[in-house]
Amino acid sequence: MTLRFTFEGRPLTAKSGQSIAAALAEAGVLALRETKEGGARGVFCGMGVCQDCLVAIGGEQNQRACVTPVAEGMAVTRQRFPGETAMAAPHVARDPDAVRPKSLDDYAVERPDVLIVGGGAGGLSAAATAAKAGLDVLLLDERKVPGGQYYKQTADALDQPALDAQQRAGADLIAKARDAGARLVGGAEVWGAFAPDLILATIECATRRIAAKAVILATGAHERGVPVPGWTLPGVMTTGAAQTLWRSYRALPGKRVLVAGNGPLNLQVAAELAEGGAEVALVAEASAGPGLSTLPALAAMMRADAGLALQGSALLGRLRAKRVSVRWSTTLERIERGPKGLVALLGRREGDRLRDALEVEVDVVAMGYGFEPENGIARALGAAHTWDDRRGHLVCVRSPDCETSVPNLFAIGDGCGLSGAPAALEEGIIAASAIAARLGARADTAAANAARSRLARHIAFQQALWSLFAAPMRGIEAAAEDTLVCRCEHVTRGAIEAALADGAPSLAEVKRRTRVGMGRCQGRYCGPLLTRHLATTQGRPLDDHAGFAPRAPAKPVALEDLVATGRAP
Amino acid sequence: MRLPAEIGTLVIGGGIVGMTAALALARAGADVCVIDDGRHSGTTANAGSLHVQMQSRFLRMYPEQAPNLEASLPLYPMAVKRWNTLAAELGADFGIKASGGLMVAEDRRQFDFLAEKCARERALGIDAHMLERAELERVAPYLGEAVIGAEFCADEGKVDPLLANQAIRKAMLAAGVVHAPETRVTAIEREGSGHRAETTRGAVRCGRIVLSAGAGTGALARMFEVTIPTTAEPLHVNVTEATGPLIHHLVQHADRMITMKQLGAGQVVIGGGWPATFTGENAFPTVLPESLLGNLSLAIHVVPRLARLRLVRTWSGVNTTADGQCILGALPGHANVFAAVPGDAGYTLGPLVGEAIAALVAGRDPGFDVARFSPGRFS
Repeated sequence: MTLRFTFEGRPLTAKSGQSIAAALAEAGVLALRETKEGGARGVFCGMGVCQDCLVAIGGEQNQRACVTPVAEGMAVTRQRFPGETAMAAPHVARDPDAVRPKSLDDYAVERPDVLIVGGGAGGLSAAATAAKAGLDVLLLDERKVPGGQYYKQTADALDQPALDAQQRAGADLIAKARDAGARLVGGAEVWGAFAPDLILATIECATRRIAAKAVILATGAHERGVPVPGWTLPGVMTTGAAQTLWRSYRALPGKRVLVAGNGPLNLQVAAELAEGGAEVALVAEASAGPGLSTLPALAAMMRADAGLALQGSALLGRLRAKRVSVRWSTTLERIERGPKGLVALLGRREGDRLRDALEVEVDVVAMGYGFEPENGIARALGAAHTWDDRRGHLVCVRSPDCETSVPNLFAIGDGCGLSGAPAALEEGIIAASAIAARLGARADTAAANAARSRLARHIAFQQALWSLFAAPMRGIEAAAEDTLVCRCEHVTRGAIEAALADGAPSLAEVKRRTRVGMGRCQGRYCGPLLTRHLATTQGRPLDDHAGFAPRAPAKPVALEDLVATGRAP
Repeated sequence: MRLPAEIGTLVIGGGIVGMTAALALARAGADVCVIDDGRHSGTTANAGSLHVQMQSRFLRMYPEQAPNLEASLPLYPMAVKRWNTLAAELGADFGIKASGGLMVAEDRRQFDFLAEKCARERALGIDAHMLERAELERVAPYLGEAVIGAEFCADEGKVDPLLANQAIRKAMLAAGVVHAPETRVTAIEREGSGHRAETTRGAVRCGRIVLSAGAGTGALARMFEVTIPTTAEPLHVNVTEATGPLIHHLVQHADRMITMKQLGAGQVVIGGGWPATFTGENAFPTVLPESLLGNLSLAIHVVPRLARLRLVRTWSGVNTTADGQCILGALPGHANVFAAVPGDAGYTLGPLVGEAIAALVAGRDPGFDVARFSPGRFS
């Protein structure tokens, strides 16, 4: 079915089920929210994290185009900076109970056996296992459609067959969890974690308290930001965002696409976009690529999971079939606006020199540099973490059952440190089985043990994969003096360096001096960059307290929805 | 960074009071070092309200302190004036907006309470008057229909603490002050005619000491066997995403815990004294869900047009309470050790109190009568 809507007064159409961002991308519209400097931003993360694709819908501001479906007759406009004064009226009539401020007792309490936060591979696997054991399972996911970033399900209303085995596997797992009796609740924002049995989530514009006997965090990851000059231009997005536009909404991000960065996801997305009809100019990959030195890694991958290894090498064949070349040892240096799109400068970095420089003109640059674990809720609850120096992020400290240092709080999947979706699936089985045993339900120990041995293989595979794609980690030094490091509050690298040069301030002090990290994305992109930078330049310890303090809200929520009790007024 | 082995004046506590004291002392020719624990991040974590009228919260919570609050009232317009002149002197933008403050009432009883408070404040020279609903709608059309009137206080407003603290720190460094953040005092001993302070960055010998550590001042005073009953009151702050200009005033309530102001960056800061708590061995201030929900439900009750804005951040700052008025002067029995703790609305009073203690240290007139603020009153 075709829906009609307008953007800035211009009549457009969308396929039923498409996000606003997807429909606009198909119409060639990439510039969405307006910025302080009079520029524009477009879709960057494509998964509701970065807040750069904000639009106003029927006058209501601060709506994320990437996760909001088009509805018939919608009037969409760019979000102005810093926002219109004429704000939308409250959605509900004045609450007669408002004479009294809300207290915790006003909120309905859900008491499931297990609360699972996140409906990706790990969360769904845990939900299926726990529900099968006879436990009452509540799974909350921010997105309306479960599946997470790995399974990326096609929006239901598009009514399209699954693209491939990966989407089919996701659909099967969702069905398995549902059939086992797990309650999968989409559109749920878990914003407050004050104790494992005091979790606050806003679901359908009202807040619920959840007091589960055990909690499994399966919060996944978001893409790592690398602030190359031009990374804030409309049309520059994460590889994951480009993939979501295609896999979930069947919209190509643009006609001509450059994929750049580091890691296997980039190759997969380039193949998918090319097969979907995009002209993929090339894949610029920072690692050196297959060669003699990578033979041990390739052999280890074959040993750990021959099927997956062959699937990986088949990707190169798929790219060749679409005449997409992969340039190894190639970094993305900067992106500028050109006469007919974006002009990206690529090359081979040798110290300060750039060899084999190449300029590519495209509509969209998809950049992928790996991921940052989404660990804010775990840290807010006090779960201990350690630092993984090789991958540059925190890793959650867990027992063999995936229990964190906080009793009855379990954590699985990429949110704990990146180990990939296959590992998350097994960790879901392991954590849910341990909880089932603890709560006296029908725990399937044989299944849990089988999951443990598969998990060991997946981890071996992942480690070999990382060494295959080993490349220097890029951080704040990728930025030029005037490149924004904090996308939300418009803080340049120069401003940050100036603050840092003045008395070696702490991260919190740099934040107060520059406003870095104070915006809508809550420091998800600039925070990890600065944390690593301060560790390198000032020798600050990298531990649980190194990043921005993990305080509520874990994600932005409208004040009205946040305080709403959901009871009839 | 290394501490100097010896310094004329050691200022302990590098928040707004310590920084403005150090700046004034250094400009008068003293050699000064400011050390700051920074552990609570309470020291420069300020919300930036410029308060003048008596805050109903304190009158409600500490009725016994009402006479002290009233006696300190004339300090507040002086303090706001000083904020403005200081910004001008430093040639810096502190983001000061003196658009006035509104304390709103929802019923006649609250309105009458404000009217009486207003009369008392006017008698003490405060520029304040009452507004009925009709006038209020012209001045503050953003207020919800529940509000029937308000007390308007002309001198109130806000300062951007992020801008102000930075500008003052820069001026202080330019004046030659040694600034040692993330440094904690562990012990202080008398040595010769001065003192020796042991810190987490080594020892420093000093002639004079200024204790300007907010709620931490009591613990420091105990090192001199002097009682100063400062209490740390961690308070909840909510911050929304940015929006266009909406709330022009500092908004407070006659009977409820709610303050609101909009920053230059467009974000709305919502507070009003809801409690936060300390957690962990480093007493890190942490927010409480009750405060978050209670505070925000009041916010959209008073300004319904905030309803669809999203909450993006919460934090907690540490307010210091003692007996409702400033603590200013030498510790009893210690002619070279001074305490400087502002009364309620500490950030508003900060520069005034910092410069007053600098004057007292130098043996000059602080510009107002400090007799009732003596640290000796608690002995």
